[in-house]
Amino acid sequence: MIKESTLKIFTITITLFLTIFIISLVACILTHTNQHILLSSIASREIQFAIKLSLFTSFISTLMCIMVSIPASYALVRYNFFGKTMINTIVDLPLALPPLVAGVGLLLLFGTTSFGTWLADIGLTFVFTPLGIIIAQFTVNISFMLRIMRSTFEGISPRYEYVAQTLGCTPTQAFLRTTLPMSKNGLLAGGIITWSKGIGEFGAALMVAGATRMKTETLPISLYLNMSCGDLDLAMSAAIILIIISIISLYIFERRGDVVHLY
Amino acid sequence: MIRIENVSKDLGEFKLDDVTLHINKGEYFVILGPTGAGKTILIETIAGIYRPNIGRIFLNGIDVTDIPPKDRSISMVYQDYMLFPHLTVEKNIEFGLHNKRISSSETKAKMNEIAELLGVSHLLNRYPGTLSGGEQQRIAIARAVVIEPKVLLLDEPLSALDTRTTERLRDELERIHRLKATTTIHVTHSFEEAFSLGDRIAVMGSGQIIQVGAPDDVFRKPNSKFIADFVGVENLFHGKSVVHDGISKVHTDGIYMVSSTLKSGNVSVSIRPEDILISKNEIDSSARNVFSGTIVEVKNMGPLVRLVVDVGVPFVVALTKLSYEDMELACDTRVYIAFKASSTHLF
Repeated sequence: MIKESTLKIFTITITLFLTIFIISLVACILTHTNQHILLSSIASREIQFAIKLSLFTSFISTLMCIMVSIPASYALVRYNFFGKTMINTIVDLPLALPPLVAGVGLLLLFGTTSFGTWLADIGLTFVFTPLGIIIAQFTVNISFMLRIMRSTFEGISPRYEYVAQTLGCTPTQAFLRTTLPMSKNGLLAGGIITWSKGIGEFGAALMVAGATRMKTETLPISLYLNMSCGDLDLAMSAAIILIIISIISLYIFERRGDVVHLY
Repeated sequence: MIRIENVSKDLGEFKLDDVTLHINKGEYFVILGPTGAGKTILIETIAGIYRPNIGRIFLNGIDVTDIPPKDRSISMVYQDYMLFPHLTVEKNIEFGLHNKRISSSETKAKMNEIAELLGVSHLLNRYPGTLSGGEQQRIAIARAVVIEPKVLLLDEPLSALDTRTTERLRDELERIHRLKATTTIHVTHSFEEAFSLGDRIAVMGSGQIIQVGAPDDVFRKPNSKFIADFVGVENLFHGKSVVHDGISKVHTDGIYMVSSTLKSGNVSVSIRPEDILISKNEIDSSARNVFSGTIVEVKNMGPLVRLVVDVGVPFVVALTKLSYEDMELACDTRVYIAFKASSTHLF
């Protein structure tokens, strides 16, 4: 009988340890509370507020990411224009940037420039408001969505649109009737991952919108506030909701994301 | 019908270099050239996907250089079909009809008629991903033809298919062209397709048109070494074939040949020059095709000598220099040539 190679045993062992490590993290949170306390915490006004605010802000920011990433990634994939290589790098920057830094940038842009003042004058105040949470989520996640849409469009031959054009479509109609519906898996996968990252967004949102109870309190902010003041029950319920959202979105992404090469 | 005048286009990797072509109404025009010759960008430029850097394109006398693809009434079929994978076969075929102002009942009628013509009626509810290459290409052709374009562009339409499917679809293209008489430009690297389908052929290489003419002229009288090398086939004939007793009897330009390729009707015939035996005396061999004629031309090409023997039609015969000298052959020598039925390739 051939002995199992050391390499095989070694690598599988490492993988198993990693798995156990991740399961322990989740298990600790899940077992730190009980069902009764959890349900009553979730029913509390504060967590209810946090859930609603999280869902609302992440929904809007995901929508914004989709609306911007579709045209932007299409331009970057299909057209050649001046400065394209540089632009490609710049729009990827938020991926590498620490969210806190992005948040500081947003705070300065909206809080100190005349552009920010002008926006505030027309009623769009970003600093210390839920609007700030939305723009923070958008900033941190747009590069993700852009990357997914770029690789989706790259995988679709431009000739589909050429054929559609010879069949009587304008370039816009050709895009809307061929490439766009053909990218629905990429859109769905990208949308889900963006939404789930948006719900979990903390650093940038903290900088721009602050952590004000019942005002800019999303689930991660709620987790942070309640951990800081020792209300573990509320903190755990926020954490558990975040875990559930992560697992669901990961599941959908795995099923739909096979057409997408993220990295 | 289509006039392409001094068109140049540079796409970096591929380019067109001062292309001028005139294609007649109802013509089946074949553009033949090796990979990378710029054939695809030529037809994409005709379709209006690219705007030429220099030059103009006219359709029925109207300058269409600046008219977008959708208003040109030119449809296109690609080698890899480009069927819309998210639509059923039916919706694929109807795609272009939805852009025309016609009623939905008329749309259905046209779709059904063309599906019938191409034999894909039983596939209408399927999605393209589940179909064979041959089926997909029929649907792509149906989708292009159903809008009744002024010009049909075919980009290597048979190249992704296996030999049998290619042959069947080639006959189909011929039939559709006879039926619809749509001006067709067919791009290919296969001389067989060019020879059997083309009313006229243009040979392309590195972005330029090198020779334009009837298939016979281009193949028999290549005007450059590039074409001679690329085409690489002599002894090409058109004929009518009748299959009888497990053998094809082909009548071409006054002579009869037999072939073991079983194909009847209008056929093309090719015999490789090195498969032909030559002798000054009557040949006593098992070969079924024996003709007598006169040597009209001797081409000295190094170790191989090529002779043109006129037996009513010109045959090119290749033999080694050694046997050429042994046999004391020269121009005007009366000779016999012979080749086997199995060397007579019909397509």
